[in-house]
Amino acid sequence: MTTLLKSLTLFSLLLFASCEKNPPITDGLLDGNVIFDPAVNNPEGYYISAKYPNPTPQDLEKHIIIAIHGYTASTFEWQEFVDWTDAAYGDTGPYRVSQILMGAHGTTYEAFKASKWQDWAESAKVEYQKLVDLGYTKISLVGSSTGATVCLEMIHSGFFNSTIAPQNVFIVDGIIVSSIKTQSIANIVGPMLVYVESNQAAEQDSFWYRFRPQETVRELNKMMKEGRKELESSIIAPEGTRVKVYHSANDPTASSTSAVLIYKGLKHADGSNIDVQIMESDIHVFTRLALREFEGLTVTQKQRDNQKSCFQDMASKLN
Amino acid sequence: MQNTILALLCFFGVSLSGQNLDLGVRIQKTHGMYWENGITAQYTLRNFKPDNFYVGFSYVTSRLGTALGTNALKQDNYIASAGWNFGKEVKPFRVHARLNFGYFYAEQVSDIFKDVPNTAFLFSPEIGFKYTFSQLPISLNLGSVYYLFTGENGESPGTLQPLYYHLDITYQILKKK
Repeated sequence: MTTLLKSLTLFSLLLFASCEKNPPITDGLLDGNVIFDPAVNNPEGYYISAKYPNPTPQDLEKHIIIAIHGYTASTFEWQEFVDWTDAAYGDTGPYRVSQILMGAHGTTYEAFKASKWQDWAESAKVEYQKLVDLGYTKISLVGSSTGATVCLEMIHSGFFNSTIAPQNVFIVDGIIVSSIKTQSIANIVGPMLVYVESNQAAEQDSFWYRFRPQETVRELNKMMKEGRKELESSIIAPEGTRVKVYHSANDPTASSTSAVLIYKGLKHADGSNIDVQIMESDIHVFTRLALREFEGLTVTQKQRDNQKSCFQDMASKLN
Repeated sequence: MQNTILALLCFFGVSLSGQNLDLGVRIQKTHGMYWENGITAQYTLRNFKPDNFYVGFSYVTSRLGTALGTNALKQDNYIASAGWNFGKEVKPFRVHARLNFGYFYAEQVSDIFKDVPNTAFLFSPEIGFKYTFSQLPISLNLGSVYYLFTGENGESPGTLQPLYYHLDITYQILKKK
């Protein structure tokens, strides 16, 4: 009995101590109060609705693709697609990329910790509606990882029932089920951990949160569960919307089983299957190759080919 | 299905040398994932600690759970186990510990997904409780299980998650003399 009491006391102390734990946030981290995502203070550089607040008829002819990054990431995640588009077309191309910052991201740890998954989806909806209100009629979405789950949420929540439908929805390494097996028990061990520190390099600290509050991991799990349940019941894409899923075969973060579940649960309005392309890849968000060297990865020609083929494929559908 | 039949034949073949044989249903819920239900059996061996040690086999599938009438992935689990019931057999309420070994298979929905992992070998420790009714040949067995994964993230099926709970309701069809 004495041993049991001692064990319980020790466990309680550990639990209490860990619950008081605050992450060591410094000014060099995105988590702090100094470095914010550049879209926070310069939305004109990232959001098409802010860059062209009074679009000309020529502007309105452009196809706009809203690019949504993933959990803890920032607008940086889709910068390579913007750069590739600029290099391929300049400003004479048929489409423009609106690089949005996911809600409650890109500012402080505290703001992120206090957020719900519904907050994360909000900025994509706001930008979409602003574009519609400005007069754009050709809009598409691309989401990576949790950004892809946001795209699915926009479909199954009925967001498009009261506005125009997107022409394309591209899902890149979308997360419905995680490859990280311990993530599913975050609601059990999370309160003891308080936060999870990523093992990212210092060079990546301006672009991803280093510290992930356990509350946000639980929110991510709720969002994934919501998407999975909706897919189990069946989701129908809006009339006229085409969906394509790209997924790394051995994605170490968002299980490629996610692509299978999306394929089974999401159909085009005409009843046809969505398009899926499984990439020979073992990196998460294969469209982002920048800073991979700090993750201990050497970017191979195959990975460059994967990125390029995805960009080209999406661009070909943005006329 | 052939694998299931083969495993059941092996199981019942071995069980001829057993003393107690319990057969029943298993109701299983993976934490944060599917309901998977099926059948289960446990038997004791005459020559080795028949009051405590037992071996068993279970087959559970999402086909009889979440995937029934939905778009959830159809997946099958074939699990062999060796366990230990603590305490005396006469007690109705006993703690048990068990080691499970098995094989997991998830349907391959289309050739598009031929490179997506859909099988895995299983290994998991388990703890739980067993309640045996004094006047009925029925037992309830509640277990909590955690799969141990050895591969890299991304190399096992995503719908295979580590923590699950199960309730076995078994009927004793053979009893030692």
